[in-house]
Amino acid sequence: MNCEEYWNDRTRPAADFDAHLEACPSCAARAAAVRPVVAGLRLLAAGMKDVSAPARVEARLVRAYRERYSRRVPPQSEVHRWWAAAAAVLLAAGALWTTARAPRPTLVATNAPLATAGGAEQEDSAFIPLPNAAGSPQDDDVDLVRVELPRSAVTALGIPASDYGDAETVEAEVLVGPDGMARAVRLLN
Amino acid sequence: MKPPESDHQLFERLRAGREQAFVALYQKRQPALYRFALQMSGSASVAEDITQEVFLALLRDECGYDPSRGTLIAYLFGIARKLLLRQYERRRSDVPVDTGAEEPGFAEPVDASDLLADLTDRERIEALRRAVGSLPRRYREVVVLCDLEEVDYADAASVLGCPIGTVRSRLHRARLMLAEKLRDERHGGASVPAWKAARCAI
Repeated sequence: MNCEEYWNDRTRPAADFDAHLEACPSCAARAAAVRPVVAGLRLLAAGMKDVSAPARVEARLVRAYRERYSRRVPPQSEVHRWWAAAAAVLLAAGALWTTARAPRPTLVATNAPLATAGGAEQEDSAFIPLPNAAGSPQDDDVDLVRVELPRSAVTALGIPASDYGDAETVEAEVLVGPDGMARAVRLLN
Repeated sequence: MKPPESDHQLFERLRAGREQAFVALYQKRQPALYRFALQMSGSASVAEDITQEVFLALLRDECGYDPSRGTLIAYLFGIARKLLLRQYERRRSDVPVDTGAEEPGFAEPVDASDLLADLTDRERIEALRRAVGSLPRRYREVVVLCDLEEVDYADAASVLGCPIGTVRSRLHRARLMLAEKLRDERHGGASVPAWKAARCAI
């Protein structure tokens, strides 16, 4: 191993380096000169290991990231409508499940305020109040949400499934109050 | 236990819009980049700006990171270095002049046995910090990268745009220059027990 290899070739076995140092006073002197420097640099590095950028840099970068990658947020009314629809489906299903296990309610073809909400009143298919709607204010500002109910849920409402042919699901409209509770359901054709 | 994600995995996820991946990569890599910029510029505000710019570069459509050409950390240090070079050009008078030429060799190896003698640990570190800060840029950056931030030689070569052999020889020269500077400082000051000698990791 020559001097150039000693300093620039780290791929060789350690024994080669030791042998070169023993044979070359010049490299031995250089190596001795840098050893304390390397040790000092390690101390310097250890003393700086906790140094890092201030927190405001991360805050600015996260803001920039959100601006770069943010998706379009739907208008508030749209969000509200979808939440209402999801809530209505769940609540209607829950209510129908409850109804199936309770004494069958009397179906009411009603002209009550609920039925007129949203201007969705139809003479041949009135809203059927759900059991959990009892006691709810009648003049609420309700949302009308269209859903698909499974055939079994229709049967639970006391309506013969045969009225709807072979369809697996039946289209319905659900009135959802401002509290998110389903008030009434109306089956569509 | 799930192994930590690699830089490349974090990069892929952050580019897919995962903010958590961006934050994780930032927290993992910013300290070394900030310290590199701080050691090279001597200015906390410059280091802060450069750290921010480096990570902003990852968000750009034309982000030039190519995993087939090197590691992400080398890419990030490379951006930091380019930004620092622009700073030097703007504030050339504030930093040591870099002639671009290799420094001459050291005909007389210094006697390192008591380079930092008579100094407290704190004084030793300060003396060495000053010595590092006074190195010409091309030597300072290799010392900061390889000795202080423990970037491996292959990545350092990628950052500096030179062969690995050049990194090694430059690092060796830089260490000899530091030894020389410390000797000069000692001659203007005191003398005592040296650094506890450690095996030279060249």
